[in-house]
Amino acid sequence: MLFVPVYIIFIPIFTALVIYLFKNRYINYLALIAQAAITILLVLYHYAYTGNYENTLFYFGDWHTAGISLVNDEISEAFLFLSVFSWWMVLLYTFEKGKTDHHFLFFLMFLQGVFLGLLQSNDLFNLFVFLELTTIIVTILIAYKKTGDSFRAGIYYLLINTSGVLMFLIGIILLYNTFGTINIQYISTAIHVYGEETAVLFAYVLMMGGIAVKSAFFPVFTWLPKAHGVSASAISALLSGLVVKGGLYLFIRMNEMFAGANINYTEFFYWVGALTAVVGVMFALSQKDMKQVLAYHTISQIGIVMMGLSSLHDSAMFYGGLLHIFNHALFKSLLFLGAGIIIKAYKSKKVGEIRGVMRTMPFVSVFMIVGMLSITGAPFFNGFISKSIIKYGIIDSGIKYWILFVVNIGTATSFIKLSQIFFGKKTMTIRLKAVPQRVTMMTLAFACVVLGNFYIQIGEGFFGLPLQQITVTEWAAFFDYALALSIGLLFYKLVIEPDYKPVRYIRNFKMSFETANYLFVVFLVVMSVYFIVL
Amino acid sequence: MIRNGFLLLLLLVLFSVFYFSLQDLLEFQKTSASYFLEYGLDETGSSNLVTSILLDYRLFDSLFEAGILLIAVSGIIWISKHEIEEKNAEFMIDKFKTPDLFVTFSRLVYPLMLAFGFYIIINGHVSPGGGFQGGAIVATAILILYYIDAEKETNIKLIVTIEKYLYLTILVIASLSFFTRGTFFTNIFDPGTFDTGTQSIYLIVLNVLVGFKVALGLWTIFTAFLKEGR
Repeated sequence: MLFVPVYIIFIPIFTALVIYLFKNRYINYLALIAQAAITILLVLYHYAYTGNYENTLFYFGDWHTAGISLVNDEISEAFLFLSVFSWWMVLLYTFEKGKTDHHFLFFLMFLQGVFLGLLQSNDLFNLFVFLELTTIIVTILIAYKKTGDSFRAGIYYLLINTSGVLMFLIGIILLYNTFGTINIQYISTAIHVYGEETAVLFAYVLMMGGIAVKSAFFPVFTWLPKAHGVSASAISALLSGLVVKGGLYLFIRMNEMFAGANINYTEFFYWVGALTAVVGVMFALSQKDMKQVLAYHTISQIGIVMMGLSSLHDSAMFYGGLLHIFNHALFKSLLFLGAGIIIKAYKSKKVGEIRGVMRTMPFVSVFMIVGMLSITGAPFFNGFISKSIIKYGIIDSGIKYWILFVVNIGTATSFIKLSQIFFGKKTMTIRLKAVPQRVTMMTLAFACVVLGNFYIQIGEGFFGLPLQQITVTEWAAFFDYALALSIGLLFYKLVIEPDYKPVRYIRNFKMSFETANYLFVVFLVVMSVYFIVL
Repeated sequence: MIRNGFLLLLLLVLFSVFYFSLQDLLEFQKTSASYFLEYGLDETGSSNLVTSILLDYRLFDSLFEAGILLIAVSGIIWISKHEIEEKNAEFMIDKFKTPDLFVTFSRLVYPLMLAFGFYIIINGHVSPGGGFQGGAIVATAILILYYIDAEKETNIKLIVTIEKYLYLTILVIASLSFFTRGTFFTNIFDPGTFDTGTQSIYLIVLNVLVGFKVALGLWTIFTAFLKEGR
């Protein structure tokens, strides 16, 4: 059982290589078998180690702090389950195509192995290697369609993420010089000795800079809509739902590691999150391309997650942010996959051109509506739970609460805009025989509803959280939601629909690669001044 | 102009913070480094400590470093405009633009370079070098071969397949230690019972495999790029 982490990293990689070498339709089914195998292994692992996670630590070659080690805890295990689940969804969704496309399966399965490794590593340089490898594979997956747009988006993603990851590497070097080792557990026990050193603080700044690029925080988010807007829908679902969360996972891990140092990050990253959320919503409101709207909403939801995660560990708000990562992974995958089916049937991405989805594709529409209700935070759906936990954490602090409320109104507005596609007459579209696609969407929609209703049991089972104070059947919750919706509707009718000049200006706003890098440097300097000089 | 000046100012701030953070550290901690110096040879059988770290202490990392090259190769092949069969077609470098002197000297240098590459690979555990470095040298020698024989045909498909098989073999050999020592990714010979000579057999095998894998990978990449450059 101890070596299950190794198996679940290498089973997908081995399968990927075999699929690439044999190029056979029937061999491709091996992907599903491998996926089933790692699911079973993971469940067994979970039952073997629940409650005594300190025993999961092991060193490769028994070299102790000189070597590399893997370790798991509640958070990483929850992420492992989420990743395997997401890959199941994407594999099933694309398997019609994937049966014959062995290249695609190769990259997809390899990415899974690498991502599962990233979640479990207990070594800083090992983390860097995994980060680099994910960056390269994701670039290839973004450029997979081989069109001009996807090439441009892929290269943009590669360059800006590489510069971020290099900052992360410089941070690791500084830490290595300070501590003489790069074992995360060792550093976290020894960090209070050097907690005041400029080297440690600067390492923190550089690593957070890298993580900010990876997970699209406020000034350095521009790669995300480009990348997630042009790639195939299933890939967008995987990237938006999960791979971006790799950055947030590192944010949790690194803040855990630096917990003993003299760093007070709560306030700073709360405002970074708030800015990310507001800016993401602002851009999403102006877009007319369905996938761009969804991609910008990923940014705004990451902002909301950051508002929660920036709070101290063990506080309720932190777990609210953590739960929102999971909820967002579910409903954003659902929305992207649904958008993929609709775009394929209508052969258009424009919100204004698609009409009558409700009559043409009733099943898909119902699932899409579940996803929309979840993302806007309706009671009885999963988005409501995590948003409420975050809301309770900041309800007393005036302006912070109002920012969250404004973001909620913006989300409601832009999904009111998106829901226009359901109305209208039935149109003749291409008949799609997409049974596996519908099954995946159904599973995701079902998961959204289950998490929205049985959150008390699930919260206790995974994180040991008491969530009883959140009640779904409270009038105030319904009132809040109705208020947000009606203000959103008003805002949509008055400002967004007439398409005034500022809206058009935001829509056509393009940030060059040069400016993006410039902003990255500005972000690093601001962090240095905030964390070191002040 | 103002923009660039401002950028210069920002970079200056970053640099000065970096400088002060290095000044702050009185001396570098050497916990791991002194460990490698003291036990490296006895535990891994390699007098070249870089190899002992690459192929034993941190073999798990090296597997993924090799994986990065593997992914890059298959990504470049997938993304490049031409189909894989087209690339097999004859080649590339313009015969008439290459100076004769260069070709003649290439003929002279080619066998030496190849031999040097193999030397670096095989002696990776005793002298500076190893699979990654030697593989790059061998790949450079092959690149020179393209200048010597401009009509040369390369079967990229075959090379890529061999590269994948080599990577699989590396993974299998690296994990063999699970059966002999009960732990993944280390030397299959226990340092307690075997002497350093026996241990180095494992290092040589792994170095040769990694060297060939790197050489084939780089060969594929520059063949793809040469075709693309046309």
